[in-house]
Amino acid sequence: MPRSSNRPGGVAQNVNPAGPPNGDGGSGAITLRSMGTVLSIRFGGPVAPELGAQAREAVGSVFASWDTRFSLYRDDSELSRINRGELRLTQASPILRDCYAAALDWRDRTDGVFTPHRADGVLDLSGVVKALAIDEAGGALRGLGLVNWSLNAGGDILVAGDQAPGLDWVAGLVDPDDRGRTLAAVPLALPLRAVATSGSAERGDHIWTAVGDGASPYRQVSVFARDIVTADVLATTIVAGGEAALARSTETWPIEVLAVLRDSSLLATAGLRADRD
Amino acid sequence: MRFRALSLAALASLSVVGIGWQMGAQLTASQQTLSAVPVAPAAHTGTAATVPNPTALGPAAPAATGSPAATTAPAAPAGAASGTFDGSVVQTRFGPVQVSVTIASGSITEVTALQLTNDGGRSVMISNQAAPILRSEVLTAQSAQVQNVSGATYTTHGYLTSLQAALDAAQF
Repeated sequence: MPRSSNRPGGVAQNVNPAGPPNGDGGSGAITLRSMGTVLSIRFGGPVAPELGAQAREAVGSVFASWDTRFSLYRDDSELSRINRGELRLTQASPILRDCYAAALDWRDRTDGVFTPHRADGVLDLSGVVKALAIDEAGGALRGLGLVNWSLNAGGDILVAGDQAPGLDWVAGLVDPDDRGRTLAAVPLALPLRAVATSGSAERGDHIWTAVGDGASPYRQVSVFARDIVTADVLATTIVAGGEAALARSTETWPIEVLAVLRDSSLLATAGLRADRD
Repeated sequence: MRFRALSLAALASLSVVGIGWQMGAQLTASQQTLSAVPVAPAAHTGTAATVPNPTALGPAAPAATGSPAATTAPAAPAGAASGTFDGSVVQTRFGPVQVSVTIASGSITEVTALQLTNDGGRSVMISNQAAPILRSEVLTAQSAQVQNVSGATYTTHGYLTSLQAALDAAQF
């Protein structure tokens, strides 16, 4: 029996042009497009259609707000205006300056591996913007009184509560060799409720800094952390910074990491081993 | 961060000591090495453990808990409840951890780490480093129904052929 209660009928807008696979229009998730990718929202129990619609609206508006301000694909975004020299950083909105400060803080904490300054001189905050948007969207869902939900934005996932009473949300990690398969299925149990994955092949624009000879030893790095910003920044950092960044990250932050090397072999921290305990 | 990990590890070990303590004589010599003679802590009220007689320590009588009649712990004489106790070695994900607890007049006065890592002196977090692993050894949650897939950011177009799209469309 489908858990159709998960998806408020008529609210979800499946982006699949082929339309919903079933006659009843059912879908397991609310999906919407933003930031050049797709967001998937799920609830861990029955949610009234009106509340589902409010959740979709809230998440969509959070992402739209961040995208409007920070997208480098929009000529009229505040960040694009700064990069064209039309607006000084000192004149920028407090939100943009805070975001820039957060990126600089992460630059310091990662020994400069993560940086908002692209090699071509462009100020690019996309390394933190999506995660900050996910974080704020999660806050918006909480603000609606929702306690059991998952939010997946282009492969970066934040969850709260349970997927079903007493059951943690489970995240699969995609196999870069076969994107139709997963390498692992990991419960997003407290305290690590967020996971982000970075790759050196897909969306290469996400990784700006090449340390050493420029070729990352890792094709894909997934980081589980307490919050989505830490997960996302460190996944990027490890891909860009290689072995040294991986070792330093696992020493410094309470995270779990699964890295896929160029030869498809794997590295994992203890918490991602099937035989732990 | 290191301090917190140490503290947690110490706390975990300490709780083991504490549980063993409450169970009194149930502790076996193989689990606990006493570098000083343990004397009963200040008398417990309620669930009183039998006094671990130093000479009888070992696989002795189990602690009698919950029975008032079994309350054999006398009020601790001044200065009697003291000693240094070494906890058993506890395996944590950061490596083996062992602590020593000094008790004076029924109060813990000092907790010392005897063994913290595989490799003395180095950060306990170092043991969290990522190590080579076979695909068959990676965690795949039992009876796991995956709701979300994490992967390198997909474009809107990439989403359409992704596992996530299949999950999102699935009837669960």
